[in-house]
Amino acid sequence: MSAPLHYVIIGSGSAGFAAATTLRRADDDCRITMITMDGLPFYNRYDLPQVFHGRHDWRDLLAVPPAFYDTMRIKLRRRSRVVDVDGSKQLVSLAHQETVHYDRLLVCAGGRGYLPENLIESARLMHGFGSFEAAMQLYRDLPKGGTAIMIGGDMVGIDLALTLLETGYHVSLITNAQTFWPHKITPDEQSVLLRALEAKGMTVFEDHRPVGVTRDNGGQPASRVILEDGSEIAGDVVMSFCGLTSSVEFMLGADVDIERGLLVDPELRTSNNTIWAAGDVCQIWHDTEKAYKFFHGWENVRVMGKLAARNMLGEHEIFDVNIEDRIEIDADGQLNSTFWVHR
Amino acid sequence: MMMAKTGTDIQIAICGSAGDGTIASGDIMKRAAAAMGFNVIAFDVYPPEIRGFGKCISRIRISTKQTYSLKQESDVLISLNDGHAIPHVGEVRDFGAVIYDDSLGSQVAEGGHISAHISPAQIPYGFGVRQISELATNSARSRNIVVLGYAAGLFNLPSDGFHEIIRSKFATKAQIVIDSNIKAFDAGLQVGQAVFKLDDVEVGSDSKETNGAEAVMMTGNGAVARGFMEAGIESYFGYPITPATSIMERLAVDMPPTGGKFLQTEDEISAIAATIGAGFTGSRAATATSGPGLALMAEMVGLGVMAEVPVVIAVSQRGGPSTGLPTKTEQSDLNLAVFGGSGDAQRIVLAPTNVEGCYRCAGMAFDIAETYQTPVILLIDLYLSNRYETVIPAKENTFAPKPRKKVSVKKGEAFKRFEMTENFISPRAVPGEAGLMHTATGLEHNELGRPNDAVHMDMSIKRHEKLKSAVHFPGLNVSKRFGDKGPVDVGILGWGSTFGEILETMYQAQAEGISCSAMKVVMLSPLPLQSLQEFFADCREILVPELNYEGQFANLICGALEKPVTRLSRATGTPMEVQEILAEVRRLSGQDPAQIQIAGAEGAQT
Ligand SMILES: Cc1cc2nc3c(=O)[nH]c(=O)nc-3n(C[C@H](O)[C@H](O)[C@H](O)COP(=O)(O)OP(=O)(O)OC[C@H]3O[C@@H](n4cnc5c(N)ncnc54)[C@H](O)[C@@H]3O)c2cc1C
Repeated sequence: MSAPLHYVIIGSGSAGFAAATTLRRADDDCRITMITMDGLPFYNRYDLPQVFHGRHDWRDLLAVPPAFYDTMRIKLRRRSRVVDVDGSKQLVSLAHQETVHYDRLLVCAGGRGYLPENLIESARLMHGFGSFEAAMQLYRDLPKGGTAIMIGGDMVGIDLALTLLETGYHVSLITNAQTFWPHKITPDEQSVLLRALEAKGMTVFEDHRPVGVTRDNGGQPASRVILEDGSEIAGDVVMSFCGLTSSVEFMLGADVDIERGLLVDPELRTSNNTIWAAGDVCQIWHDTEKAYKFFHGWENVRVMGKLAARNMLGEHEIFDVNIEDRIEIDADGQLNSTFWVHR
Repeated sequence: MMMAKTGTDIQIAICGSAGDGTIASGDIMKRAAAAMGFNVIAFDVYPPEIRGFGKCISRIRISTKQTYSLKQESDVLISLNDGHAIPHVGEVRDFGAVIYDDSLGSQVAEGGHISAHISPAQIPYGFGVRQISELATNSARSRNIVVLGYAAGLFNLPSDGFHEIIRSKFATKAQIVIDSNIKAFDAGLQVGQAVFKLDDVEVGSDSKETNGAEAVMMTGNGAVARGFMEAGIESYFGYPITPATSIMERLAVDMPPTGGKFLQTEDEISAIAATIGAGFTGSRAATATSGPGLALMAEMVGLGVMAEVPVVIAVSQRGGPSTGLPTKTEQSDLNLAVFGGSGDAQRIVLAPTNVEGCYRCAGMAFDIAETYQTPVILLIDLYLSNRYETVIPAKENTFAPKPRKKVSVKKGEAFKRFEMTENFISPRAVPGEAGLMHTATGLEHNELGRPNDAVHMDMSIKRHEKLKSAVHFPGLNVSKRFGDKGPVDVGILGWGSTFGEILETMYQAQAEGISCSAMKVVMLSPLPLQSLQEFFADCREILVPELNYEGQFANLICGALEKPVTRLSRATGTPMEVQEILAEVRRLSGQDPAQIQIAGAEGAQT
């Protein structure tokens, strides 16, 4: 009798979690290890704005109770950073110098906020919103009724902005090419959406190019954005919401094709036949457009996670890349997207 | 007065190898916490044998309430060596913290790093312990201090207290050593303070005044030595044996400056012989040993009983028989302490239940021995010997020797050293007192001390009857009842170190609505029969938890009272666990399990 296969999943986000549970439900014997840099078990990121509604105990945000992982025999390795994948030896190396052997690897490492080059130096002065910890830090640092300045305004930022407006804060939005990312919309559509947001109380700055951020003397964090023309926009915290950069650095030695994300075929397999990828980290081949494309958004990545898992188990399912890209805002200011899930 | 935060009750376990400074960092943690005004109970576990390197673990319970034992689950585990710490990850409660090094010096295979063993409900805190130590001090050796700083930062414990303790701990070392340890602590502190805390281990936020600086951290053995010193010990003869050795080591330092005579003898037989010799001369004399040593001393204890010589013998039990489990705890020398030796040789046996009790019993033991002219055995065990607790020592020394009553003899009459008095306690004189010369012998003897078989029955009565009033010795709690008064469903009867867990159990059981009492028996010989009878009369069920296989205490009690008890005896070398006692209490209570409200940590509040 051969030893049960060891499935290693890098990432415990929406894609990784969906994959792990799918694997276990289909194969009772296999070993499943989920490696993540996160400190917490999986929670729904789209719930993070809820910290401004008073949900401060991370346990309330968890998608499943911690015991679920034991029941499902999913080994969850938190605070573990993958630094290298050796695609030929099938080894994952962790920053703390541990190596983990896999039979099949699924990369669901997502991405991190993209920062325009001229803002990189100021990164440490700005707030993030990619994790519970970051969300709580923002909540603590933003004075009640204070103003958050958002550069860009991708969908993550817009979701947060709507919650901030609802809960008595102010939002100043400096638009750029990533506003409403990952939606690709025309300037006219964008204008309609921005007017609707202004009607909800948001201050919108269009056609301004931020060149840096600064803080008041000795103050922390940044509270002002410096624009190209030398003028400033003042607030209490500054945040960048300019879409994502895929987390692929650790895959450079893995013998897989990489463009901006990990390149996968419609079955989500990389160019290495023991490695699959799903979620924000991957670009999927779009046969009609003859290009590899990202498919962001909660529902998309969840579907990818499940599909990748089934294909790792031997199926040959194909990810439907024909996803409509549309976003609207209704009279109540509620956003409706064809792939971006709203709480 | 120091300020401690209220509502705090956390247990930190630090685990590493003997070379990692594990015990040293535990020591700083417990002393700093005590100096901050917390109640502290701590217990260090050393490598299994005396040789080489091995696992060390220091567990420290820091609390603002009165606590009686270590908790079964720790709130925080700090790993200084993953190989050793991995088996202990499971003792960390849900939403507790595991602190570890994620900058290991060498490659490990899958599962070799502690992060692989942390459950989804526990909170991992990995950081570059080694790197930070090297950056701060140019050496990885201060990792044990870096983690302390990190924990202080994470749990918001004031750094001043730690600085002070670090300075005093390394006071005899070069200034550079002190400075680099402070640097290592501060470097860890900075990292810990910056971490986003995800665990729910809370050091309470409001402050209350506590006894703070008045409290002193002591181990059971340290408390015995301190009690001996305050009682004016004059002679100590001993032979080293785990886990009693540190009593001897302390006295070797403390006695000579006060004029005490301290001698390490060639073995336990010489030690007890010399102690009895010194006791005979009127010197406040003691020895300390463990079970195997007491076995060797048994014959001489008989001489002390027969010749009515006051001596004090501290016995710290470990796993037996024979060499047994030298570094593991057990309560299996009760039979030996109470009955060991030839003949009907009743002696007084005191078994304190906590560190403060060690201090008090040791302090009073000489007076008791002197009053009843007999050996007094102070019976503790490894768990109590090595356990640290905060103790508030008496402001005035109440243990100091009182002048011995002068004996006078009517002219022309011989001195009856073993006179049959009303309370069976005879006048005692020491060698050199004019006109009071007498024979002291191991042979049965008459009132004058002359060998005589014919008086054996009378003298046996005398030697037993004289001890009866010991249970009323002023200032000594020979037994004490806790919890519900009057009739109860379950009474838990205990002795020695196990009583801490018993008391914690009782409070938890009460919080669950079980009618329950606990009684500790400190004097094992003679037994406080009246209070035992009253306790038995009040309790529908009696549970006797103890750390030995045969149920030696249960046997002793049943033999004396002829009443059945439920035994919870186990010999694993480790302390009893509250949950296992509680399970028995629940069962004995007869309460419908569905009706029992399982209490959380708050339930244990006293
Ligand atoms: C704050 C926030 C709010 C959002 N709100 C919405 C919303 O309302 N609706 C919606 O549809 N979408 C939302 N999204 C987007 C959506 O969540 C993403 O598309 C989705 O989270 C991507 O899932 P994923 O599993 O691919 O990656 P992620 O969820 O980003 O997970 C990546 C995982 O990989 C791990 N990882 C990365 N690198 C390494 C490494 N080197 N070693 C080990 N582990 C690594 C990370 O620790 C993490 O666990 C939101 C995203 C964010 C950040």
